[in-house]
Amino acid sequence: MSGVIHWAEEVGDDWARVRTELTRAFEVSRASAQAEESFVYVVRQDDLLGRRGPGNAMVATGLLSAARTAALEGSRKGWTANVVAYDDGTDPEAVQAWARRMLEAGDVTGELVRVGAGHIGKTLP
Amino acid sequence: MGPITVIGVDIAPELALSEHLTPVQVDLTSPEGPSVVRETVESAGAPLVGVVNNAGITRDARLVNMTDDDFAAVLEVNLGASYRLATELAPLMSDGGAIVNIASRAYLGNFGQFNYSMSKGGVVGMTRALALSLAPGVRVNAVAPGLISSEMSLGIPEEIRARMVDAIPLDRMGTPEEVANTVWWLLTPLSSYITGEVIVVGGGRSLS
Repeated sequence: MSGVIHWAEEVGDDWARVRTELTRAFEVSRASAQAEESFVYVVRQDDLLGRRGPGNAMVATGLLSAARTAALEGSRKGWTANVVAYDDGTDPEAVQAWARRMLEAGDVTGELVRVGAGHIGKTLP
Repeated sequence: MGPITVIGVDIAPELALSEHLTPVQVDLTSPEGPSVVRETVESAGAPLVGVVNNAGITRDARLVNMTDDDFAAVLEVNLGASYRLATELAPLMSDGGAIVNIASRAYLGNFGQFNYSMSKGGVVGMTRALALSLAPGVRVNAVAPGLISSEMSLGIPEEIRARMVDAIPLDRMGTPEEVANTVWWLLTPLSSYITGEVIVVGGGRSLS
């Protein structure tokens, strides 16, 4: 397996922390893209829906959109960008395993995989 | 809806030329920017019934070539300024008021726009979170325009723009008025049971 798994950090609702976290993701992603390696962002399902405040929501949905754009660029070079979202209480090992799976699946890109059932009946992000 | 006062906020002085707006010339990315707007709203002495977050810039490049400066500038204007303004003004809003954030269809992904796409995706998340936290008094929605005939899109080389139009089922660029109509609808009671949503104004491009 080659690539990077990037877990979104907790940021609260302070803009400076949101900016720092998104910048960290950008730097990781750019380095991966330059090395032509795949990457996966890991976020909380609740944050895709904005249920834990705007700061964490901006990070989660920002990463999802960034992954979709990166996937378009990577598809021309053979690397992928995906997102794994998980419900609260999910075993982190299970989340990590899905992230590794996404890195290995070279023909899946720009996708969101949700671990758990918390997204069912909710808006499609 | 009765007579309203419209306060226009821009970094450029040209806004002051419009007779229909109370202009505020301010850089919303500056530390004091959002509070200058809040003070203007308070001094207007009227209830705040609507906010439209419309600041946006592009600095396009493929991810591998994107500079730190281009990433930071787009994030700060498109997401940081919108967030800081919305949180500054939200406490002033009247019950029944509405916030409309301008996202972009690029939140679904757009080649060469890692920074822009991330920033507009962030606007979507901000919209959802504020919709939850400001309910039931204030509704918060987003509009995601596609290719619109505007200063931003007219900077795209003509040949590329023509190819982009070819991919739009409605076979043309949208107009600023078509975006404004959607924004207006979301600001008014016509959309009184809608909050936390993203309305794409893109001529069907998300399907083609």
